Amino acid sequence: MYQKIKSIEEQAIQEVQAANSLEKVQNLRVKYLGRRSLINQLFSKMSHLDKKERASLGENLNVVKQRLTSLLEEKLKAFKEKEEKVDLTFPPQRLFFGRKHIVTFVSEKICEIFENIGFVVIEGKEIEDEWHNFSALNIPLEHPSREVFDTFYLSLKEKDKGKYLLRSHTSPSQIRIMEEKKPPLAVISPGRVYRPDEVDASHSFMFHQIEGFCVDKEINFSHLKGVLLHFAKSFFSPQINLRFRPHFFPFTEPSAEVDISCIMCGGGGCSVCSYKGWLEILGCGMIHPKVLEVCKIDSKRHKGFAFGMGVDRIAMLKYGINDIRLFYENDLRFLNQFYEV
Amino acid sequence: MRFSLEFIKEFFDPKRSAQGIAHLLTMAGLEIEHLEKKDGDWIFDAEVTPNRNDLLSIFGIAKELACLCNKYLDVKLCKYLGKPLLKDIDIYIRDIKDCPVYIARLIRGAKIESSPSWLKHRIVNCGLSSINNVVDITNYCMLKWGNPLHAFDFDKIEGNVYVRRANQKEIFVGLDDKERLLCPTNLVISDDKKVIALAGVMGAKNTEVDFTTKNILLEAAVFSPLTVRRSHRSAGIDTDSSYRFERTVLGKLLEVASSEAAKLICEICDAKTYGYRKRGREPVPPKKKIIFSLANLNAYIGEKFPKNDVRRILKNLGFKVKILSRGKLLVKPSVFRLDIARDVDVFEEITRIYGYNRIKGTLPALACQLDKDNIYILKNDLRKFLINLGLNEVITYSLNSEENLLKLKESHYIKLTNPLRSQEDVLRTHLLVGMLEAVKYNFNQKNQFLRFFEIANIYKKDKDAFSELPFLSCAVTEKAGGFFYLKGLIEEVLSFLNIKGYAFLEKSRDNFLNSLIVNYKDRSLGFLGKLNKNIKEDFGLTDNLYFAQLDITLMESLKKDNFYEPFSKYPVVFHDISLDLKKDLRFEEIEKILKETVQDYLLDYQIVDIYRTKDAPSNLITFTIRIFYQSKEKTLTSQEVDFIHNNLRKRLSQRQGIILR
Repeated sequence: MYQKIKSIEEQAIQEVQAANSLEKVQNLRVKYLGRRSLINQLFSKMSHLDKKERASLGENLNVVKQRLTSLLEEKLKAFKEKEEKVDLTFPPQRLFFGRKHIVTFVSEKICEIFENIGFVVIEGKEIEDEWHNFSALNIPLEHPSREVFDTFYLSLKEKDKGKYLLRSHTSPSQIRIMEEKKPPLAVISPGRVYRPDEVDASHSFMFHQIEGFCVDKEINFSHLKGVLLHFAKSFFSPQINLRFRPHFFPFTEPSAEVDISCIMCGGGGCSVCSYKGWLEILGCGMIHPKVLEVCKIDSKRHKGFAFGMGVDRIAMLKYGINDIRLFYENDLRFLNQFYEV
Repeated sequence: MRFSLEFIKEFFDPKRSAQGIAHLLTMAGLEIEHLEKKDGDWIFDAEVTPNRNDLLSIFGIAKELACLCNKYLDVKLCKYLGKPLLKDIDIYIRDIKDCPVYIARLIRGAKIESSPSWLKHRIVNCGLSSINNVVDITNYCMLKWGNPLHAFDFDKIEGNVYVRRANQKEIFVGLDDKERLLCPTNLVISDDKKVIALAGVMGAKNTEVDFTTKNILLEAAVFSPLTVRRSHRSAGIDTDSSYRFERTVLGKLLEVASSEAAKLICEICDAKTYGYRKRGREPVPPKKKIIFSLANLNAYIGEKFPKNDVRRILKNLGFKVKILSRGKLLVKPSVFRLDIARDVDVFEEITRIYGYNRIKGTLPALACQLDKDNIYILKNDLRKFLINLGLNEVITYSLNSEENLLKLKESHYIKLTNPLRSQEDVLRTHLLVGMLEAVKYNFNQKNQFLRFFEIANIYKKDKDAFSELPFLSCAVTEKAGGFFYLKGLIEEVLSFLNIKGYAFLEKSRDNFLNSLIVNYKDRSLGFLGKLNKNIKEDFGLTDNLYFAQLDITLMESLKKDNFYEPFSKYPVVFHDISLDLKKDLRFEEIEKILKETVQDYLLDYQIVDIYRTKDAPSNLITFTIRIFYQSKEKTLTSQEVDFIHNNLRKRLSQRQGIILR
């Protein structure tokens, strides 16, 4: 009897160790530990033995049973773990999340910087008339100073403010607000503008501008500089340098163009800044008294400054984008590059 | 304007490096866009702003540069000869508004050759080409003084000289050999028989000075800026001469330029002057006196200018300054500076020469009382919400082609009167075309999973009135969820804005198959639908597209603030019902029965499974609906839930077209 137990045990251990699949181990468990297993059969054969022998044999059988149980469980566990193991070199799941268009982001960001120092966002209209787009801004209808403002005209019936057109800059917002509201004013006005320019890497017939202006009793040129310096440092970097170059705009006097130190080379000269070290980012000036006067604001009591910038151009500079058409193709490979929200 | 350092030195030696000069000029408003060394000379490319016609001459630039070097440049102008009187021909000016003054000099016996090298260099270094000695001399004097001159071959002129408007369809062949038909917009110089020049723009081929020419009629005149502008535009020619006339040429240096040219022709071409005739009078710009106080200047710029600096700057600019009582200054601007009209113009001059970059920046205390644009706030909020839902924002052109809008059966659009291309000749009446183009572009790049939105204006006209209103458009491709994703999106947007009481109504719509309008009390908030096959094919889309457009102005007026709403904390129980729905019956019916039967205990329901088996009958939809029961007042017992649920099953099974499984 003992010998038989011993041989069953040896055979079981051998078979369990040789088992090479989860299924085989499970079958072995049934074979050796199940209800009709060899060991159970031996237990049932013990009834005709005497009490002492039965106890000793029973103990022996139980030990073998326990040994086999733990052996099988160990083997089973090993197989189960192997089963759960996955190939981690597979690619991850693609995640989708939304993005603002980079031009919108830049526009909102710029507005926010000005809002933080007391400007208020008010949008203008894209369909404008000659009065608001030109004449009120001291741009004569037939003058070389209008040459930079080529304009799309619209098939709408002309009214007393002249022909209807698509605004060629955001400055008409300035006139609209000054006609309706009284100083103190500090307004920032973003939006789409249109010019009949042939489309190429740096031109588009539709692009974005932001106009900002401020009218109050004590406003001066130094304030204009301070406000724009604050903007450039907040938007680009605190290390950025600014320079103001005298320029001409019919609607401001004095007028200036503003350059930032090149964000690529820091001012040393590179291909981005055409080896000048500076990049032009906006035009500005003190609002021409004539412009205040056409809006019925007393130019003796009130002064103002105004500035205007191209959002597309600033986005291109900030993110090193070399073709304005990328903004309007909406290629996912372009849109998804920006994490700014 | 291109100029060279050696040419400047004819007036004044700045004794500075070319780079230093370029920097000085740039920082004073004459931006040097390009600087280049050539044949021992320095070439400057400057951008002259339209207000500074005085800088379209070497004389003007030298004066400006001297001022920046802290000097006043006093140029002794040469004396001119007004004798003997030219008797061979006479000059007639039809309208002195077009041409206030015309000076003609006859020079006989000129030898036409190529120019001496110094003259060639001057011309070429300023961007003009050298033609022959006479033509080069006229160009040299134009560059030097800013007054365009013209030389005619006197022997080719028949009869007298006239300054008049062209007749309709009068022929003009210019020095560029191109033939043009003129109209009365064009001001011309003619003789008794023919047009010999397009005034202020270009001479005619028929009186060109060439190597056989002997006698020269030298023209120096002032033409009205507007006349020249219209004339060169209608003829489509832009020249160095028209560029200057359009920006106003002064009479002040006219005699100087004319007599220097005559003198040079005599010297270089071995000729002698023979006659002089002048018609009209040089226009005299109104004398201006500008009075301001130093305090005004300081307050306007935000800087304390030393009085002596102000006086010195104005003096160097050639402005006369008189100190009046109480800190006031009387300034008479230089005769060459037509752009200086009022105090702020003088402020700019002082600040510009003083240096913009010496003015410190300060932040003003702003006290604007206006309110931020509500529509702007909503647009930004919507944008944030939609990107949180995983949509990409696109920006597409506001201009569409009329052809595309007609394809979509649109009307009431606004046309451009001067479009650049036919692809963009109308303002869009909806946001669909732009979206289609963005989607198509990405389909072509093999991106089929697209969820896009755009926030932009659409434009419509109705008789004389027109509108420009902001809309939101969303587009979802089949792979990115299709119609029911889009419907869910619209619900989320409206729930975000807390707009309640709207309904989706089925309504057929041009260009769409399966479309719903989002209705709010008889007003339409917008629509959504699947693009029909025609449009898909017309626009070359390779997959289905679902599109929605919502009215931002209307949503803005309906939106409400969100407040916390208490919810029931009693347990939720759910039971499923699987059923077949005949296709002529709609889900709406089940929803109705559900609401009527369960009433207050209905928390929510969901479709948890839709069975799509191959052998399923095509007139049935089989699905499982899960109903969530909850009371606001108590814990529902299982008997209560079973009772309601069984009642619901009974009611559903009684409805024809619904088969419980």
